[in-house]
Parts: sequence; C-alpha cells; structure tokens
Amino acid sequence: MEEITKRRRRTPRRQPQAGNTITNNPLKLLVTVVDRPKTEFYADLIQSFDVNLQTVVLAKGTADDNMLRYLGLTDSKKSVIFSVIGAARLPAALEALEDKFRTVKNGKGIAFTIPLSSVIGTLIYGFLSNNRSVVKEK
Amino acid sequence: MAAYEVIFCIVNDGFSDVVMDAAREAGARGGTVMHARGTANREAEKFFGISVQPEKEIVMILVPAEIKDDVLRALYREAGLKTDGQGIAFAMPVDDAVGVGGEQPAGDDEK
Repeated sequence: MEEITKRRRRTPRRQPQAGNTITNNPLKLLVTVVDRPKTEFYADLIQSFDVNLQTVVLAKGTADDNMLRYLGLTDSKKSVIFSVIGAARLPAALEALEDKFRTVKNGKGIAFTIPLSSVIGTLIYGFLSNNRSVVKEK
Repeated sequence: MAAYEVIFCIVNDGFSDVVMDAAREAGARGGTVMHARGTANREAEKFFGISVQPEKEIVMILVPAEIKDDVLRALYREAGLKTDGQGIAFAMPVDDAVGVGGEQPAGDDEK
C-alpha cells in the first residue's frame, strides 16, 4: 500500500511531457482538403505536429464558376486528409498550413477542425496525442 | 457561436450534383465529394419495403454559420429522404478554419 502511494506521488515528476492530459490537451479532428498531387506534402507537414494517425480519402472538388460548369471543368481531383491532433499543437499546425496554402504553387486548400468529445483508453489517447510517457519503459 | 459549420450530406451515388446545386442556391460556395458505401439493416429494409442503394456519395460543405440552416433546408428539399437521392444531412460546428474566404493567393491560379 505504501509503495503504491509513493509511486503515485512520483509519477508526475517522471513524465517528460507533464500537462499532456485529456483535459488540457483535448483532441481535435483536423480535416484538410487539398489537390491530390499535394496529398503527401501536406500529410507529411501535418505529421510533424505530433500527429500519429492520419487517413486520406480520395475525393473530387466542386468549383462554383458557372462558365466552368458549362464546360464540364468543375470536377477536380482532391484528397481529404483526416488527422487527429492535440489542441496544444493545433495553432502551430494551422499557421503552417495557412502559410503553405498561400505560398506553395497549386497548393491551395482548406482546413478546419472538429473537437472530439471522447476517446476510449489512455493508450489510444497517448497514441493520438503523441504522449509517449503513457508507455511504461522497462 | 462558431463562424463556420461543416455540413455532411450522404446521398445515393450520382446525386452529389443535386446536392451541390441545392447548396449553391442557398449560398454555399463549393464542396468536396467523397465516395462511400452505405450499410443498412437488411431486416428493416424489408420491413419498411424500401431498398437502400449501397453506393453513396458524401458531400462535405464548409459554410458560414449564418447560412447553415438555409443550406440544410435546401438539401432536405432537393435531396432529402423523400427524393431519389435519399439523402441525410447533418452539420457540425467547426473550431478553426483556414484557407476559406478572403483573397486569392498572388500568382496562384487554382483553375
């Protein structure tokens, strides 16, 4: 019993990323829509912000120019990248995305986030937020 | 209140144009179409005497929160469950949105 209490008290100090908990680093679903040839570029960019899980769905965009619609040029190949990201890294990720959307040739896209309300299991939460301290080292 | 909302509309394959036309009428600017496969309760299908086409299209539309209700209403009218599109639609609040609205990037022509 004594040992358990001791261990509990020590735990916070041992965590390298103290403060990375579900309450102060909630998860968000980051949805990014980009042209298909730029999929990997953006997926790699997002991955550098502590993102461990991404899913790419192939899609097509619908432009709103009436003339183009008459010409049948409205369909453009797009990718939707779904990424789960911790809110702590989100501002940096959005800033980087916005910057690339503006400056990369043919790299225009949109991105938005949806808050996740639940996640089951601490290991999964640790994985999704890249909190490596949830895995006990031996 | 959120500035943007994302609307997901799930319709039978081939009806994404109907959805986009209706959404545009209500003020939406553009959308993204994903291909998907629906799953339905076979027994319920039999009971209600309807058939559910498994091939689906999911149309994702990011709209300003003010026109969300108008767009949903238009989708219900033009592509709702009572139409051939057999569509359902729902909206979710969006926390942050980048790359929407505002000016075109300099020297970068999307079309």
